[in-house]
Amino acid sequence: MVAGYRTHVSIIADILSTAKQYSYEGYDTGATVTLLIRKANVPHQRLGSMVSALKQAGLLYEASAKYKISERGIEFLKAYSEFKGFAETFGLRV
Amino acid sequence: MLEVLFELPMNLLGLGISAFIGRFAYSGYATVASPNLLRLTFAFTSVAIGFALLASGLFAGDYSQAITTAGLAAQAIGYFFIAFSHSLKSFDFSPHRHLLLAPLAITGFVIPGNSLEHLVRSISFILLVYVSIETMASYMQGRRTSTLMIGSGLGLLALAELLSWYNFIFPGSFYVAALSIKVAGFGLMFVPFSKFGLASGLGRMNSQIGSGL
Repeated sequence: MVAGYRTHVSIIADILSTAKQYSYEGYDTGATVTLLIRKANVPHQRLGSMVSALKQAGLLYEASAKYKISERGIEFLKAYSEFKGFAETFGLRV
Repeated sequence: MLEVLFELPMNLLGLGISAFIGRFAYSGYATVASPNLLRLTFAFTSVAIGFALLASGLFAGDYSQAITTAGLAAQAIGYFFIAFSHSLKSFDFSPHRHLLLAPLAITGFVIPGNSLEHLVRSISFILLVYVSIETMASYMQGRRTSTLMIGSGLGLLALAELLSWYNFIFPGSFYVAALSIKVAGFGLMFVPFSKFGLASGLGRMNSQIGSGL
């Protein structure tokens, strides 16, 4: 069995989790691109396209060149956590 | 008549359980757009269709055999989708994508027989054994009780297919046991769902939070 790569959805969840951490949990100024790259472990080029898609889907929003998670994004993270557990019961990844 | 009285409720129970799991998987796919959840949706929808066909086959008269075989084939397709998802996880290296078809390839080692139903049952058995082993391997890594229950459920389904095959050779030998074990297998797979908050999961089905990602 191979540990495997992160899936697209799990990378999105990592980006949103980082944004959430810098939106509500003590650091309410939002996450910079550098923080997202470092904490979510995504290359800059890929992050740009993913952040655009997340903004377009209304999961993330930009405020003063920093990114914050939206209510919709928090709802996505909750759903992700729930369905991740569901997939893992089958021994699969979301 | 006894066959209908016993088999119909069992098939309807299997239909209900697999349709419920399939619907939950679809609500997951609609929410987080995960390909694995889409495959699970296809898998359990196919299994549910199989149960529906098996139930309707009881009242089909002359066409009973054909409809039963179609039902078993639909279920085998469902098992294949689960096996395929495990293949993608276990053979996670792009240069040899053809290995993803490994579970299908081993179906060449089917138990020899002389009918389509026999062949389909053999394929289902092999796929279920593969999926059960993969799920148990996942349990060994994560030690999640729910994974153990799913793995055990899939193992029971494999045992049911084996007994059904034996029943095919020696009619009447394990008929009741095979069908009971099959439904027990699906029941075991259903148990872990109690902790997922089914209502909230299904409620999200139309919200499409992650659509467009």
